[in-house]
Amino acid sequence: MIRMKPALTAALIAILAVSCGGNGDSPGEQRRDRVDILGAGATFPAPLITAMADEYRDLTRNRVTVNYQSIGSGGGIRQFIEQTVMFGMSEAFLSDEVMNNVEQATGGRAFNMPITLADVVPTYNVPGVGSGLVFSGELLVEIFMGDITRWNHARISELNPDVDLPNLPLTVVHRSDGSGTTNVWTSYLSRVSDRWRERVGFATSVNWPTGIGGNGNEGVAGAVQNTTGAIGYNSFAYALLNNMSYGSVINAAGNIIEPSFEATTEAANIELPDDTRILFTNTPAEYGYPIAGFAWMLIYENLDANRAISNRREAKELINFLVWSITEGQELSELLGFARLPEAAVEKSIQMIRQLKWNGELIGQQVLDEQDLLSSVPRPENYL
Amino acid sequence: MKTLLQRNIRDRIMESLLVLSTIVVLLPLIIILVHVVVNGISALNWDFFTQELGSPSRALQGRPTGLVHTILGTLVVDFLALFLAVPIGFGAGIMLSEFPDHKLNPTLRVMNDTLNGMPAILKGLLAFVLIVKPMGTFSGLAGAVALAFVMIPIIARTTESALMSIPWSIREAGLAIGLPRWRVVLSTVMPAARFGLVTGTLIAFARAAGEAAPLLFTSFGNNYLPNHWLGMLLGPVDTLPQRLYSLAISPYSHWHSMGWAAAIVLLVFVIVCFGTARYLTRQKH
Repeated sequence: MIRMKPALTAALIAILAVSCGGNGDSPGEQRRDRVDILGAGATFPAPLITAMADEYRDLTRNRVTVNYQSIGSGGGIRQFIEQTVMFGMSEAFLSDEVMNNVEQATGGRAFNMPITLADVVPTYNVPGVGSGLVFSGELLVEIFMGDITRWNHARISELNPDVDLPNLPLTVVHRSDGSGTTNVWTSYLSRVSDRWRERVGFATSVNWPTGIGGNGNEGVAGAVQNTTGAIGYNSFAYALLNNMSYGSVINAAGNIIEPSFEATTEAANIELPDDTRILFTNTPAEYGYPIAGFAWMLIYENLDANRAISNRREAKELINFLVWSITEGQELSELLGFARLPEAAVEKSIQMIRQLKWNGELIGQQVLDEQDLLSSVPRPENYL
Repeated sequence: MKTLLQRNIRDRIMESLLVLSTIVVLLPLIIILVHVVVNGISALNWDFFTQELGSPSRALQGRPTGLVHTILGTLVVDFLALFLAVPIGFGAGIMLSEFPDHKLNPTLRVMNDTLNGMPAILKGLLAFVLIVKPMGTFSGLAGAVALAFVMIPIIARTTESALMSIPWSIREAGLAIGLPRWRVVLSTVMPAARFGLVTGTLIAFARAAGEAAPLLFTSFGNNYLPNHWLGMLLGPVDTLPQRLYSLAISPYSHWHSMGWAAAIVLLVFVIVCFGTARYLTRQKH
């Protein structure tokens, strides 16, 4: 035992030395200024946020690394409250109870800053029928209630007179896990139907009246694609990415809205409260897509009260990234299948950033002032 | 009275049953190995070992992406866990085997077995409360502590049985020439049992190296190498089992093959560790 120890120790040291040596790829003098920013939460915006992180890392020449882990909206809220992450991310805004608890614990508010938009589309697998079937809210409720069991049902064909719908059994597919996508979807169904609101309601997971469950966006997509006659719901980005057939939805103004980034952005172009805690499914916007909502970045007003942020420099770099992500960073949206934030939401976010403090000092305002001086921020290049 | 033929037939039947059960044990292993290699080999390239993961758009656009940070993170977290677990595990094992009359031992044994049977995610929770909350951030250190909790009870148990297998006469010989008890254990019993000790440690190591659950909320994961070299210990760090899981449930086919490749690397890592340790403790000729 004693004899073999030096060999083992040497091996261990060698491995550790190699692993530490591998960390740096830029000059040593910059290393001291480097900052790691940690965020976690919703799965849906993860492709956008991580692409922003890639881009931002290139922009800052590896000085600022944003590590975003997708652990779900619930996990994001949880870790935000536990103060183990610098920012959280969620497709559901913080409840009044959580907001009050944060205020008591930190002496400042918790901000919900819109970072991108979540849009959910009905996806289906009907042979011979491509994208563009028209659904109304009431029709979707009847389908997901289990009232309509065949594709050639009169209620479907009256909205789609030009489509030759087969006499095929209809299978409902829904998420089996808790998800922000389900929250947006059921929030829409609840808003268009009292029956749905009373019988099922809306939440990140609900008691489905009918249908089979799939785990995650990919689970639902898989079940829809493998089941002839299936209908489910997926985030728009996901449906695009996987070439799924998706439907158009009639909005509150009575217009048939084909899912698009513009229609989703338009849906959020409404009167927003200052804290942006609003659900706008079934949006009143005339040409807005009705099944959409914000994804929020969660952040403490008093950044120093968040134990995950250890110094003022980290706080400032975090704010720098926030400002970039809601302005320049939005340029990445369409390419990744996301809709841009509407102007109104960006303005509300900027107002919140203005109030961010470090030990009482308004560093959010400082960052905004500095960025105005250096307004020529390089634009993203990799995504053209 | 059974004839010789009957006995022979019986013998043959039993023998083939044993062969059959060996195949049944080995078959899943072989299926897994073949499946993992077939699916993952295409994603094993130079980028895989030199680039960071970044965002899924890197993979979708064919830009370089890899798991260098994950592989290094796994090495740091796993070996740190081993470093933490071995002294404690050996200590507990020695206590159980060399001081069998100690009144704490029955309790220790029960507690050790309980710890061993506890779901691994609870050990992650324990490390979350002990390390992550006070530190205010996820860290490789917390991941290592969680994995150490996985290793300790296994090492303690295997150490106990390895030491017990050494005849008492060896201890008596040591005591007879005037060695203190601790010196007897350290200089005679443990070297004699080193093969068993290393095997036990390896079993514990291999088991912990494959655990994703204790790492979910301790080492947490990272899409990049940390910006400071201490970041591996004091900041969130990526590990193979956990990254494998998140790649597998992702919607991107490129990430799926990277997940398979991560599984190959993890398998090779465990096999290399086994090989090295066996080599270091090989019996003298």
